[in-house]
Amino acid sequence: MSVLIETKDISYRYPNGPLALRNVSVSIKEGARIAIAGQNGAGKSTLLQMLNGMLRPDSGEVLFEGKELAYERKKLRELRRRVGFVFQNPDVQILAPTVYQDVAFGPVNLGYSDSEVRTAVSEALHYVGLSGYERRPPHNLSGGEKKRAAIAGVLAMDPDVLVFDEPTSSLDPAGAEEIMDLLDEMHENGKTIIISTHDVELVYPWADTVILMGDGSVLKQGTPEEVFINDKQLRFAKLRMPALLEIYSGLVARGMQGAGAPPKSALDLIHLLERDRHGEMQCDRCGSIYLADVGAISEGDLSEFMHKDLVSSVGAMGSKAKFLAEKESLELDFTYGVIDKCILKAMNGRDSLILTSGGMVSRVHERVQAFGEESGRHVGIISCCPEKSSQAVERGLEGVESGVWEDS
Amino acid sequence: MQGFLEEIAETNGLRDQSPSLKLLLGLGCMILCVSSSGPLAPLFVAFTMSLVIIFMARVPVWYYLRLLLIPLTFALTSTVVILFLTGGGEVIWVLDLSEQVSLSVTTESLNQSILVLARVAGGMCSLFFISLTTPVTEIFSLMRLAKFPQEFIDLSMLMYRFIFVFIEEAGMIYRSQTMRLGYGSFMESVRSSGMLAGALFLRTWESGENLILAMDARCYDGRFALLEDTPTLSVKSLILVISYLVLVLVIACLTRNMTIFEAAI
Repeated sequence: MSVLIETKDISYRYPNGPLALRNVSVSIKEGARIAIAGQNGAGKSTLLQMLNGMLRPDSGEVLFEGKELAYERKKLRELRRRVGFVFQNPDVQILAPTVYQDVAFGPVNLGYSDSEVRTAVSEALHYVGLSGYERRPPHNLSGGEKKRAAIAGVLAMDPDVLVFDEPTSSLDPAGAEEIMDLLDEMHENGKTIIISTHDVELVYPWADTVILMGDGSVLKQGTPEEVFINDKQLRFAKLRMPALLEIYSGLVARGMQGAGAPPKSALDLIHLLERDRHGEMQCDRCGSIYLADVGAISEGDLSEFMHKDLVSSVGAMGSKAKFLAEKESLELDFTYGVIDKCILKAMNGRDSLILTSGGMVSRVHERVQAFGEESGRHVGIISCCPEKSSQAVERGLEGVESGVWEDS
Repeated sequence: MQGFLEEIAETNGLRDQSPSLKLLLGLGCMILCVSSSGPLAPLFVAFTMSLVIIFMARVPVWYYLRLLLIPLTFALTSTVVILFLTGGGEVIWVLDLSEQVSLSVTTESLNQSILVLARVAGGMCSLFFISLTTPVTEIFSLMRLAKFPQEFIDLSMLMYRFIFVFIEEAGMIYRSQTMRLGYGSFMESVRSSGMLAGALFLRTWESGENLILAMDARCYDGRFALLEDTPTLSVKSLILVISYLVLVLVIACLTRNMTIFEAAI
C-alpha cells in the first residue's frame, strides 16, 4: 500500500485562537481505515480539514500522492473531488431543497452531463440506501437519513478518499452501527476512509490504524490494539480503554497464560476464555452459516429459503443486502459485526444466514477460515443458491478455498 | 415541524399533476376574481376551489379552514371600513356617533363591500390552492422554464433551504429561553427577544461561513444543482382546467351587472 496523504510537521493557529495543531506528522496509506481519536478540541477536525485543503497550515506541508498541495482554486477542486469530506452536521452540508438536487450538486459542478449526473446520483442514493427519497426535502429526513444523504452527496463525486468528521455523533446506537457498516462497505469497494471520533468502542474493531491525538499533537499512531492498550496515554487523551481490551488486560494482569492477541469481538473474548478453561472452544455440534450473495440470487429465492425455516438468525452486511431484507420484510438480527456474531451462533449449534454482496462475500470466507485455523473449529459455509453464487465466489475469492468446510 | 404549508404541499393528492397546470389554474382564477365586476364569479371560484383543495388535494378540512381564517379576518375588518366610508345610492342605515358625526351605510357601499369580500375570498382560495398543492421546489423548476436568471433561482433555492434551518435554530433558542423563564414579564420578553435576535444573527453569520466551506468542499464552480423533472402535463387535465376557467369567465361576464341592490344611476 502506497502512502496517499501525508502531513509533515504541520502547525495551525485559528485567528485569535489557541494553537490547534502542533507539529503534526501523519501518513495515510491507500486503502486504509483510519480513525483519529481524541477528546473534543484535540485538533481532530482541524487536522481533517487540512487533508482536503479547507485549511492551510501555518507551517509544515501537506502532501497528496507525494506532491505538496497547491492552494489554488483549480488544483484544490481536483483535490476535493478525490478527497471527499463529510461534515459532522449534515445541515451544514446539505444545500439544496431536495435530496436529488443536493446529491447532484457535486457532479453538476464537476461538469458531468445530464445523464451522467442522473446515474451518479441514483447510484449514490442506492449505495446509502436512500433510493426513492429523491424528491424529499432534507428538513423532513431523520438524523440518520440526513447523514446518509450527506454521504451520498460526497459519494456521487466518486472520491478515492472519504473523510468523515465525527460520523456517528448524534446518532442512536443502531444508526451509528449502520453508518459504520456503510463505511465498511465503502472500504471494501476500494475507498480509503478516515474518520474522527471519540467513540472508542465503535472504532476499536473497525479501524486498521488509529491516530491518537491530544492537545493538538499526535500522541501515537498504530494499530488499535497498540494504541488503545496504553491506559496512561488514553487517560491523557481523555479517552477510555475499549471494554474488550480492559477485560483482556485485566486477565493478562491476573496471570492468564498464553492469552494471545487481544480480542476484537465478543467471539474472540469467549474463545480466549474457553481456551484457557477447557483448552479449546466448546462446541458439541457446530452450526453452519448460510451465505447468500444478494447480487446473485433472484427474486423469491430468499422468501423460499426463509420458508424452509433452516436458520435461527439472519444478518446482513452492506446496504444492498439490507435493502433486499427490507423489501422482503425480513427481520434482521445482526447488522454490524455480523460474521463474528454468526460464528458465535454456530458455536452454540445454531444455523444462521448472512446476506451480503460483492467483495464482502469473500470477507465471510476469510474470517471463517481464519477463525477455523485459530480455534480448530470449522464452521461450514453453505452457499444459498450454489449454481449462481459459485461464479461470485470465483470472482471474489482468489487464493481462498471455496466451497463447504466440514466440521472437524 | 408539523403543520407547515410546505409539508402539506409535499404530500397532497395533486402532487403528481404538472405544476405549470396548477399554476395556470390558480393564477387564472386569481385574475378572473380580481377583474370580475360582480360578486358571483369570485364566490363561485372560492367555493369550487375549496372543494378541490379538500376533496382532490385531500388537505385536512380543519387545517384549511384555520388557514382561511387569517386572511378573512383581515378582509372582514377592511370591508367594515368600506361599508361606512364609501358613499352613493340610498342610505340604508345610519349610525350616529355624535351630533356632528354620523356613519351611514348606503346601497352602493354595501354592494362595494360585498364585491371586495367576494374577490378576497376567491383570490385567497386560489392562492391557497397553489401553495397547498405545489411545493416550492416545483416553482423553482417553473422559474427556470420561464427563463428567470440562474443566479436568482440559485439564491432562492439556498434561501428556501435555509429557512428551515433558521426556523429550527430560532425555535431552539426560544425554547431554551422559555425554559429559563425568559418570557415571564413584559420587560423580560423585550429583553429576551432582543437576545434571540442577536443570537440568531450570530448563528446566521456562522452558517453563512459554513455554507461557503461546504460548497467549496463539494467542488463548487458557480453551478447549483440541476432541477428535477416535473410531472408532465396531461392533455385531459389541461382541457379540464381550461374549461373550468372558461366557465368562470362566462359566469363573470353574465353576472357582471349583478348587485344586491340596483345601482343608483
